[in-house]
Amino acid sequence: MADDGVLDEGTETAALREVLAAEHAAVWGYGAVGAALSPDAREPAVAGDIAHRDVRDRLVALLDARGADPVPGQAGYTLPFPVLSAVDAAALAVVLEEGVSAAWVRLLDQATEPSVRELAVEELGAAEVRAVGWRTAAGRTPVTSAFPGLS
Amino acid sequence: MVPLAPPAPAGFPRRAFLAASAGLALLAAGCTAGSSGAPAVSTEESDRLAGQVAVQEAVVAAYAVATSADPALALSDLAAQAGEQLDRLRAAAPSSTSSPAASSSAPPPPPPGGDVRTWLRQQVGGAAASHAAACARQTGARAALLGAVAAGLRGHEAALA
Repeated sequence: MADDGVLDEGTETAALREVLAAEHAAVWGYGAVGAALSPDAREPAVAGDIAHRDVRDRLVALLDARGADPVPGQAGYTLPFPVLSAVDAAALAVVLEEGVSAAWVRLLDQATEPSVRELAVEELGAAEVRAVGWRTAAGRTPVTSAFPGLS
Repeated sequence: MVPLAPPAPAGFPRRAFLAASAGLALLAAGCTAGSSGAPAVSTEESDRLAGQVAVQEAVVAAYAVATSADPALALSDLAAQAGEQLDRLRAAAPSSTSSPAASSSAPPPPPPGGDVRTWLRQQVGGAAASHAAACARQTGARAALLGAVAAGLRGHEAALA
Protein backbone atom coordinates (compact mmCIF):
# COMPACT_ATOMS: atom_id res chain seq x y z
CA MET A 1 0.00 0.00 0.00
CA ALA A 2 1.00 3.62 -0.04
CA ASP A 3 3.39 4.72 2.67
CA ASP A 4 0.53 6.07 4.72
CA GLY A 5 -1.65 3.06 3.97
CA VAL A 6 -4.19 5.07 2.02
CA LEU A 7 -5.12 4.07 -1.51
CA ASP A 8 -6.43 6.69 -3.88
CA GLU A 9 -6.35 7.60 -7.55
CA GLY A 10 -2.82 8.91 -7.07
CA THR A 11 -1.44 5.59 -5.87
CA GLU A 12 -3.27 3.81 -8.67
CA THR A 13 -1.99 6.16 -11.34
CA ALA A 14 1.58 5.89 -10.07
CA ALA A 15 1.34 2.09 -10.22
CA LEU A 16 -0.17 2.25 -13.71
CA ARG A 17 2.83 4.29 -14.83
CA GLU A 18 5.16 1.65 -13.34
CA VAL A 19 3.36 -1.03 -15.34
CA LEU A 20 3.65 1.05 -18.49
CA ALA A 21 7.39 1.44 -17.94
CA ALA A 22 7.67 -2.35 -17.57
CA GLU A 23 5.63 -2.87 -20.73
CA HIS A 24 7.87 -0.50 -22.70
CA ALA A 25 10.85 -2.55 -21.54
CA ALA A 26 9.11 -5.79 -22.51
CA VAL A 27 8.34 -4.53 -26.02
CA TRP A 28 11.97 -3.54 -26.49
CA GLY A 29 13.20 -6.79 -24.97
CA TYR A 30 11.07 -8.98 -27.18
CA GLY A 31 12.94 -7.51 -30.12
CA ALA A 32 16.11 -9.01 -28.70
CA VAL A 33 14.32 -12.29 -27.98
CA GLY A 34 13.10 -12.61 -31.55
CA ALA A 35 16.45 -11.64 -33.02
CA ALA A 36 18.13 -14.53 -31.20
CA LEU A 37 15.66 -17.13 -32.46
CA SER A 38 15.62 -18.83 -35.82
CA PRO A 39 12.75 -17.72 -38.08
CA ASP A 40 10.86 -20.97 -37.57
CA ALA A 41 10.99 -20.55 -33.79
CA ARG A 42 9.93 -16.93 -33.57
CA GLU A 43 6.17 -17.37 -33.31
CA PRO A 44 6.04 -17.21 -29.48
CA ALA A 45 8.26 -14.12 -29.53
CA VAL A 46 6.04 -12.44 -32.10
CA ALA A 47 2.96 -13.30 -30.05
CA GLY A 48 4.57 -11.94 -26.90
CA ASP A 49 5.63 -8.77 -28.67
CA ILE A 50 2.11 -8.17 -29.99
CA ALA A 51 0.57 -8.84 -26.59
CA HIS A 52 2.85 -6.35 -24.87
CA ARG A 53 2.33 -3.71 -27.54
CA ASP A 54 -1.42 -4.09 -27.14
CA VAL A 55 -1.37 -3.70 -23.38
CA ARG A 56 1.11 -0.84 -23.63
CA ASP A 57 -1.33 1.00 -25.88
CA ARG A 58 -4.21 0.29 -23.51
CA LEU A 59 -2.21 1.70 -20.61
CA VAL A 60 -1.28 4.82 -22.55
CA ALA A 61 -4.96 5.39 -23.36
CA LEU A 62 -5.94 4.80 -19.74
CA LEU A 63 -3.40 7.29 -18.44
CA ASP A 64 -4.30 9.82 -21.12
CA ALA A 65 -7.96 9.53 -20.15
CA ARG A 66 -7.19 10.46 -16.56
CA GLY A 67 -4.90 13.30 -17.55
CA ALA A 68 -1.71 11.61 -16.39
CA ASP A 69 1.42 11.74 -18.50
CA PRO A 70 2.23 8.28 -19.85
CA VAL A 71 5.80 7.17 -19.16
CA PRO A 72 7.75 7.27 -22.43
CA GLY A 73 9.77 4.30 -23.55
CA GLN A 74 13.55 4.52 -23.42
CA ALA A 75 15.66 4.66 -26.57
CA GLY A 76 17.48 1.55 -25.42
CA TYR A 77 17.90 -0.75 -22.46
CA THR A 78 20.79 -2.76 -21.05
CA LEU A 79 20.35 -6.48 -21.46
CA PRO A 80 20.78 -8.38 -18.18
CA PHE A 81 23.02 -10.94 -19.92
CA PRO A 82 24.25 -11.66 -23.46
CA VAL A 83 21.55 -13.16 -25.66
CA LEU A 84 23.40 -15.45 -28.02
CA SER A 85 21.25 -18.56 -28.28
CA ALA A 86 17.67 -19.79 -28.22
CA VAL A 87 18.07 -20.71 -24.57
CA ASP A 88 19.35 -17.20 -23.79
CA ALA A 89 16.38 -15.77 -25.65
CA ALA A 90 13.96 -17.87 -23.63
CA ALA A 91 15.70 -16.85 -20.40
CA LEU A 92 15.41 -13.19 -21.40
CA ALA A 93 11.72 -13.63 -22.14
CA VAL A 94 11.28 -15.10 -18.65
CA VAL A 95 12.94 -12.00 -17.21
CA LEU A 96 10.62 -9.78 -19.24
CA GLU A 97 7.45 -11.59 -18.22
CA GLU A 98 8.46 -11.74 -14.57
CA GLY A 99 9.27 -8.03 -14.69
CA VAL A 100 5.84 -7.08 -15.93
CA SER A 101 4.26 -9.52 -13.49
CA ALA A 102 5.86 -7.70 -10.56
CA ALA A 103 4.49 -4.41 -11.87
CA TRP A 104 0.99 -5.84 -12.27
CA VAL A 105 1.00 -7.20 -8.71
CA ARG A 106 2.14 -3.81 -7.47
CA LEU A 107 -0.82 -2.30 -9.31
CA LEU A 108 -3.19 -4.78 -7.67
CA ASP A 109 -1.86 -3.63 -4.32
CA GLN A 110 -2.29 0.04 -5.16
CA ALA A 111 -5.46 0.13 -7.26
CA THR A 112 -8.78 1.56 -6.15
CA GLU A 113 -10.93 0.85 -9.20
CA PRO A 114 -12.28 -2.69 -9.70
CA SER A 115 -11.92 -2.26 -13.47
CA VAL A 116 -8.20 -1.60 -13.04
CA ARG A 117 -7.83 -4.68 -10.86
CA GLU A 118 -9.68 -6.70 -13.51
CA LEU A 119 -7.20 -5.51 -16.12
CA ALA A 120 -4.28 -6.24 -13.82
CA VAL A 121 -5.31 -9.77 -12.90
CA GLU A 122 -6.09 -10.60 -16.53
CA GLU A 123 -2.71 -9.39 -17.76
CA LEU A 124 -0.87 -10.94 -14.82
CA GLY A 125 -2.34 -14.30 -15.76
CA ALA A 126 -1.44 -13.83 -19.41
CA ALA A 127 2.14 -12.95 -18.49
CA GLU A 128 2.44 -16.08 -16.36
CA VAL A 129 1.10 -18.28 -19.16
CA ARG A 130 3.76 -16.88 -21.49
CA ALA A 131 6.38 -17.29 -18.76
CA VAL A 132 5.52 -20.98 -18.43
CA GLY A 133 6.30 -21.48 -22.12
CA TRP A 134 9.56 -19.59 -21.88
CA ARG A 135 10.69 -21.34 -18.69
CA THR A 136 10.08 -24.63 -20.48
CA ALA A 137 12.12 -23.47 -23.46
CA ALA A 138 14.89 -22.28 -21.15
CA GLY A 139 15.02 -25.66 -19.37
CA ARG A 140 13.91 -24.23 -16.05
CA THR A 141 12.18 -26.29 -13.37
CA PRO A 142 9.63 -25.87 -12.10
CA VAL A 143 8.06 -24.21 -15.10
CA THR A 144 5.37 -22.59 -12.98
CA SER A 145 5.37 -20.06 -10.15
CA ALA A 146 3.08 -20.26 -7.14
CA PHE A 147 2.93 -16.47 -6.81
CA PRO A 148 3.83 -14.71 -10.07
CA GLY A 149 4.96 -11.18 -9.43
CA LEU A 150 5.73 -11.75 -5.77
CA SER A 151 9.11 -13.43 -6.06
CA MET B 1 21.01 3.05 -20.85
CA VAL B 2 18.28 1.86 -18.55
CA PRO B 3 18.51 -1.74 -17.32
CA LEU B 4 16.02 -3.92 -19.15
CA ALA B 5 14.97 -5.69 -16.00
CA PRO B 6 14.83 -3.08 -13.26
CA PRO B 7 14.33 -4.27 -9.70
CA ALA B 8 10.79 -5.18 -8.76
CA PRO B 9 8.67 -2.12 -8.11
CA ALA B 10 9.63 -0.61 -4.80
CA GLY B 11 7.72 -1.76 -1.81
CA PHE B 12 6.47 -5.12 -2.94
CA PRO B 13 9.09 -7.85 -2.72
CA ARG B 14 7.99 -11.16 -1.23
CA ARG B 15 9.24 -10.11 2.21
CA ALA B 16 7.10 -7.00 2.11
CA PHE B 17 4.22 -9.13 0.97
CA LEU B 18 4.66 -11.50 3.88
CA ALA B 19 4.55 -8.52 6.21
CA ALA B 20 1.38 -7.43 4.49
CA SER B 21 -0.09 -10.88 5.03
CA ALA B 22 0.68 -10.60 8.72
CA GLY B 23 -1.07 -7.27 8.71
CA LEU B 24 -4.06 -8.89 7.10
CA ALA B 25 -4.27 -11.32 9.95
CA LEU B 26 -4.52 -8.47 12.42
CA LEU B 27 -7.03 -6.63 10.31
CA ALA B 28 -9.21 -9.65 9.77
CA ALA B 29 -9.22 -10.25 13.50
CA GLY B 30 -10.86 -6.88 13.94
CA CYS B 31 -7.79 -4.78 14.67
CA THR B 32 -7.16 -1.72 12.61
CA ALA B 33 -3.63 -0.88 11.72
CA GLY B 34 -3.78 2.06 14.10
CA SER B 35 -0.69 4.13 13.53
CA SER B 36 -0.37 3.14 9.88
CA GLY B 37 -3.82 4.48 9.09
CA ALA B 38 -4.51 1.51 6.85
CA PRO B 39 -8.17 0.90 6.13
CA ALA B 40 -9.90 -1.78 8.14
CA VAL B 41 -11.09 -4.91 6.38
CA SER B 42 -14.84 -5.17 6.14
CA THR B 43 -16.58 -8.33 7.25
CA GLU B 44 -17.72 -8.79 3.67
CA GLU B 45 -14.15 -8.65 2.34
CA SER B 46 -12.94 -11.02 5.04
CA ASP B 47 -15.72 -13.48 4.22
CA ARG B 48 -14.85 -13.31 0.53
CA LEU B 49 -11.24 -14.14 1.26
CA ALA B 50 -12.31 -17.04 3.47
CA GLY B 51 -14.44 -18.25 0.56
CA GLN B 52 -11.36 -18.36 -1.64
CA VAL B 53 -9.66 -20.59 0.93
CA ALA B 54 -12.37 -23.17 0.26
CA VAL B 55 -11.80 -22.79 -3.49
CA GLN B 56 -8.08 -23.42 -3.04
CA GLU B 57 -8.73 -26.40 -0.75
CA ALA B 58 -10.63 -27.92 -3.66
CA VAL B 59 -7.60 -27.36 -5.91
CA VAL B 60 -5.33 -29.14 -3.45
CA ALA B 61 -7.85 -31.96 -3.21
CA ALA B 62 -8.05 -32.17 -7.00
CA TYR B 63 -4.28 -32.60 -7.25
CA ALA B 64 -4.46 -35.41 -4.68
CA VAL B 65 -7.28 -37.12 -6.57
CA ALA B 66 -5.47 -36.77 -9.89
CA THR B 67 -2.23 -38.12 -8.46
CA SER B 68 -4.03 -41.17 -7.08
CA ALA B 69 -5.89 -41.73 -10.33
CA ASP B 70 -2.84 -41.38 -12.55
CA PRO B 71 0.53 -41.33 -10.76
CA ALA B 72 2.30 -41.06 -14.11
CA LEU B 73 1.17 -37.45 -14.40
CA ALA B 74 4.06 -36.41 -12.10
CA LEU B 75 2.21 -33.57 -10.43
CA SER B 76 4.41 -33.11 -7.37
CA ASP B 77 5.71 -29.63 -8.25
CA LEU B 78 2.30 -28.29 -9.15
CA ALA B 79 0.65 -29.91 -6.13
CA ALA B 80 3.28 -28.42 -3.85
CA GLN B 81 2.67 -24.96 -5.27
CA ALA B 82 -1.08 -25.35 -4.82
CA GLY B 83 -0.40 -26.20 -1.19
CA GLU B 84 1.78 -23.11 -0.78
CA GLN B 85 -1.00 -21.01 -2.20
CA LEU B 86 -3.48 -22.51 0.23
CA ASP B 87 -1.17 -21.85 3.18
CA ARG B 88 -0.81 -18.20 2.18
CA LEU B 89 -4.53 -17.74 1.72
CA ARG B 90 -5.22 -19.30 5.11
CA ALA B 91 -2.68 -17.01 6.72
CA ALA B 92 -4.40 -14.01 5.17
CA ALA B 93 -7.86 -15.23 6.17
CA PRO B 94 -7.45 -16.54 9.70
CA SER B 95 -11.20 -16.69 10.20
CA SER B 96 -11.48 -19.43 7.60
CA THR B 97 -12.02 -22.99 8.69
CA SER B 98 -10.13 -25.87 7.17
CA SER B 99 -11.04 -29.51 7.39
CA PRO B 100 -14.85 -29.36 7.61
CA ALA B 101 -15.03 -26.84 4.79
CA ALA B 102 -12.62 -28.88 2.73
CA SER B 103 -15.01 -31.80 2.61
CA SER B 104 -17.82 -29.58 1.32
CA SER B 105 -15.58 -27.98 -1.31
CA ALA B 106 -14.04 -31.22 -2.54
CA PRO B 107 -14.03 -31.47 -6.33
CA PRO B 108 -16.15 -34.01 -8.15
CA PRO B 109 -14.19 -37.13 -9.00
CA PRO B 110 -12.69 -37.48 -12.46
CA PRO B 111 -14.90 -39.48 -14.81
CA PRO B 112 -14.08 -43.20 -14.69
CA GLY B 113 -11.70 -43.99 -17.50
CA GLY B 114 -11.65 -40.34 -18.50
CA ASP B 115 -8.76 -38.02 -19.14
CA VAL B 116 -7.50 -37.15 -15.66
CA ARG B 117 -5.19 -34.44 -16.94
CA THR B 118 -8.04 -32.64 -18.72
CA TRP B 119 -10.28 -33.02 -15.69
CA LEU B 120 -7.58 -31.55 -13.44
CA ARG B 121 -6.98 -28.70 -15.84
CA GLN B 122 -10.68 -27.83 -15.71
CA GLN B 123 -10.64 -27.82 -11.91
CA VAL B 124 -7.60 -25.56 -11.84
CA GLY B 125 -9.04 -23.26 -14.47
CA GLY B 126 -12.27 -22.86 -12.57
CA ALA B 127 -10.41 -21.99 -9.40
CA ALA B 128 -8.23 -19.46 -11.25
CA ALA B 129 -11.34 -17.73 -12.57
CA SER B 130 -12.87 -17.68 -9.10
CA HIS B 131 -9.75 -16.15 -7.53
CA ALA B 132 -9.51 -13.57 -10.31
CA ALA B 133 -13.12 -12.50 -9.82
CA ALA B 134 -12.59 -12.25 -6.08
CA CYS B 135 -9.41 -10.25 -6.64
CA ALA B 136 -11.35 -7.50 -8.40
CA ARG B 137 -13.58 -7.12 -5.33
CA GLN B 138 -10.72 -6.87 -2.83
CA THR B 139 -8.18 -4.12 -2.19
CA GLY B 140 -4.54 -3.77 -1.24
CA ALA B 141 -2.56 -6.82 -0.22
CA ARG B 142 -5.62 -9.06 -0.40
CA ALA B 143 -6.12 -8.16 -4.06
CA ALA B 144 -2.42 -8.70 -4.73
CA LEU B 145 -2.49 -12.13 -3.08
CA LEU B 146 -5.59 -13.32 -4.91
CA GLY B 147 -4.29 -11.97 -8.21
CA ALA B 148 -0.96 -13.74 -7.80
CA VAL B 149 -2.66 -17.02 -6.88
CA ALA B 150 -5.04 -16.70 -9.82
CA ALA B 151 -2.13 -16.09 -12.17
CA GLY B 152 -0.20 -18.97 -10.67
CA LEU B 153 -3.11 -21.29 -11.41
CA ARG B 154 -3.34 -19.91 -14.96
CA GLY B 155 0.26 -21.05 -15.28
CA HIS B 156 -0.73 -24.47 -13.96
CA GLU B 157 -3.43 -24.64 -16.62
CA ALA B 158 -0.82 -23.92 -19.27
CA ALA B 159 1.54 -26.54 -17.87
CA LEU B 160 -1.26 -29.12 -17.88
CA ALA B 161 -2.27 -28.38 -21.48
